[in-house]
Amino acid sequence: MSATIVPEAEAGARAAVRRNFWRGVWRVMRRKPSRMAGAVILAVFAFMGIFGPMLYPDPLPRDTSALYAPPSLRHPFGTDFEGTDVLALVVTGSRYVLLTAVVTAVITVVVGAGIGLFAGFRRGRWDTVLMRFTDMKLTIPGLPLLLVLSTVWKFTGAAEMGLVLGLLGWGGVARAVRSQTLSLRERGFIEAARGLGLSTTHIVGRELLPGMAPYIAMNALIAVTGAVYAQVGLFFLGVLPFEANNWGVMLNLAVFGGGALTTTAALPYLLAPLLAILLLTLGIVLVVDAMDEIFNPRLREE
Amino acid sequence: MKRLTAVAALLSLAAVAACSGGGTSGNSTGGGGGVYTTVDINKPSLDVNAPINPWNPKGNAFWGYNAMRIAWAKNTLTDPNQFYPGIAASWEIAPDNSSITLHLQPGNKWSDGQPVTAEDVKFSIALAYTQGSTAFAIDPGAAGAASDVEVVDDKTIKITQDMKNPSVTFVRGVMDAFVVPKHVWQSVVPGDFWDTLKTARGDGPEAEAARGQIKALSEKVLAFAPAQDVSAGPFVLKRMNPGEALLVKNKNFYNAANVAPDQLKLLNTTGNEQIWNYLTSGKLDNAPFTAVPADVMKRIKATPGNQVIKGYSPVAVSLAFNQSKKPYDNVHVRRGLAYLINREEVTQIASPEGGTAAVTTSGIHQKAAREWLGGELDTLEPYKLDPAKADKEFTEAGLQKKDGKWALADGKPWKVTIHIPAPFSDWVSAAKAITSQLTTAGVDAEVVTTADYPLYLSELAEGKYDLGFWLIALGPAPYNIFQRLYGSSNGWNILGGKVKHSAPGKDGNWMGGPESIDVEGVGAVNPGELTAQLNSVSGDEQKAVIAKLAKAANQDLPVIQLWDYVNTQFVNTNRFTGFPPDDSDLLRQPSGVWIQLGLIKKKQ
Repeated sequence: MSATIVPEAEAGARAAVRRNFWRGVWRVMRRKPSRMAGAVILAVFAFMGIFGPMLYPDPLPRDTSALYAPPSLRHPFGTDFEGTDVLALVVTGSRYVLLTAVVTAVITVVVGAGIGLFAGFRRGRWDTVLMRFTDMKLTIPGLPLLLVLSTVWKFTGAAEMGLVLGLLGWGGVARAVRSQTLSLRERGFIEAARGLGLSTTHIVGRELLPGMAPYIAMNALIAVTGAVYAQVGLFFLGVLPFEANNWGVMLNLAVFGGGALTTTAALPYLLAPLLAILLLTLGIVLVVDAMDEIFNPRLREE
Repeated sequence: MKRLTAVAALLSLAAVAACSGGGTSGNSTGGGGGVYTTVDINKPSLDVNAPINPWNPKGNAFWGYNAMRIAWAKNTLTDPNQFYPGIAASWEIAPDNSSITLHLQPGNKWSDGQPVTAEDVKFSIALAYTQGSTAFAIDPGAAGAASDVEVVDDKTIKITQDMKNPSVTFVRGVMDAFVVPKHVWQSVVPGDFWDTLKTARGDGPEAEAARGQIKALSEKVLAFAPAQDVSAGPFVLKRMNPGEALLVKNKNFYNAANVAPDQLKLLNTTGNEQIWNYLTSGKLDNAPFTAVPADVMKRIKATPGNQVIKGYSPVAVSLAFNQSKKPYDNVHVRRGLAYLINREEVTQIASPEGGTAAVTTSGIHQKAAREWLGGELDTLEPYKLDPAKADKEFTEAGLQKKDGKWALADGKPWKVTIHIPAPFSDWVSAAKAITSQLTTAGVDAEVVTTADYPLYLSELAEGKYDLGFWLIALGPAPYNIFQRLYGSSNGWNILGGKVKHSAPGKDGNWMGGPESIDVEGVGAVNPGELTAQLNSVSGDEQKAVIAKLAKAANQDLPVIQLWDYVNTQFVNTNRFTGFPPDDSDLLRQPSGVWIQLGLIKKKQ
């Protein structure tokens, strides 16, 4: 942690730690196959988000003689109201959903952790002001506010959407990070760092943050699921711009246009985006489970 | 469902003119009893706290059930002058439309036992003035407004039209008035109302002040909540909960002997899918016009007792242009787009059960168009799908084609943005299908939804959209049909009996079309003035004006007519029989009217 007396030796030690870390990760992953499955699911979604839209022609082909076609080899999840392959819609639509989710997660974590760390570390007046602000933010119900916002602001891009969701979602993270900081700052190693006269930046950045990184990372993943639910919910309610391949729009059209809750014809159209959301959530839950063990020393020792 | 409300609301705007009378119907006594269950097309979402007030938009006065009009319009294809009896049993209309004399149902009583009199009708007309309507307008010079209301005797009342600016919509305006009991509503209107009205008809500051006084009553009327329902209709509201309204038979109703159901339930619905579920479980005796996907239709038909009745619905949906936005000011661009839209495909995707693809853009529903235009309908350009013709039109408009994509004349990218209200699932599907068709043809296109219909209409009126879906052909009165294309939304308003054109962006002119159009074979026409003429002309003259306007709409394309609605309703014959057949004009009235006329019988 300290000093730069023997740089090579330290670099070697760090490399060894890193190697041990990845070995640990591998061990943890192997212990429960479900965790591997989780990682694979997330990898598939990441691939879908990045390369998915490149796999299909734009615009997506339509077959107007096969509206709401049943599932077949050609259309594993059938077709939609204008004969477009539902799977293609889910795949091409994943980029918007995932990008929004990532932007949301980044903003939630950066703002939440930043405010939490600052408030917890500085305490005193800053803490009071920031936490009251956080409390106020936490009392504002997210969905109604989003509904109101959506009438005046057309969320045209994924980044815009993510920004709004992120700015609405950091409260919980800030509170949790602050309490962690309050507890950690009283520990011996922080006192020691202070005693050594290290700068605040160093103490926060190199001593406090690494201890909380796993916690923050988990929060980031959970924020992803929250963002997916929120935006799909908004699109489902029909208050956001229309994109035929948006999962929320698909759910909306399946239920209100196709009668998926009344008859079976539009059921695959309804189930495909639902399944995608379910899988994404499952993947995140499984990976969070693995992360918990990787970063929690007590669980690791077992 | 909200779509349905909108269509219904617009239908009720359709006003018309008059002639013949009618008599009370059937004397046969139907077997009584049972509960009739339906959804009120005008108020699908119930509000327990709303007043029992027919003028209140949320009011628990349900038209045809416990709220009565003077008469019920038939909305026929071309003859707007036919009505079924309501509060009035029969009527005489002066040949020049200058007056109408109403003879009230003899022996009709309010549910509290008091007789329904001509005084009640006159008092209700006073209330109508506070809300403003076609026949009862206080604005000086309003077309088709009444000038005098005279109680002839206890059961007879004569309403005279102000012949300074007559309109064929006068009679329909009178007949559409709601009638409420004077003895219940008395406190709402001051005793000197008719004097104030007389002053309001004049000129000068006094008249202005009087008009202000009458308008000020509007809120009071809208908010008035009678303690209990006093109805002259076939039913009386007994109780309500958020899920349903329960109405019981009004024993004092003039035709009570022929009102079959003892009770009537109006179910609360918040969306089409709820109606679909009610229908598949056989719960509804009648469901008004509801958009239904093909597969759901199969399920509904499979339910024992369910039957589908189809009729004419004087409504069509179109894609309307804001011509103050480029490049839509160019007729060749509009025509080009018309050649790229496959209307059959759009209708098949969006409204397979509730619509028929428009044969062309004439501004008139195809059924009425055949009646009005005859063979001339076939001479109109049909705008069949033809990418080659579209290319030609776009080239003529100066658009550029780069790498298979059309761009604006200055080389900037062109994106057709179609706006629709999000809750109308059929419009959403249609708009998406159109953008897919356009994109395939090299015209970049997107759909943008607006959260709800009122917001959509206000943003449309503010000129915020380039293109938007727009209901047209709201018949049967020809004036009402064409004012959707060449009325206030396109700059033409009738003020003080004169047609005035406002510039795009002013006085609600969001369509922004030119004031004069050069129509091939006709010459230069002012379509707004022609439309206004439809108020006063009749017979062959009217047909000639309609032909000109249809040609103008067809060549100028202020809108692209997409599909004409089919009034698809559902009935269940397990509990009741006697429902109107296919194409019956009664399908354009709620089942309360069928019941009060004595058509519906209990199944033996």
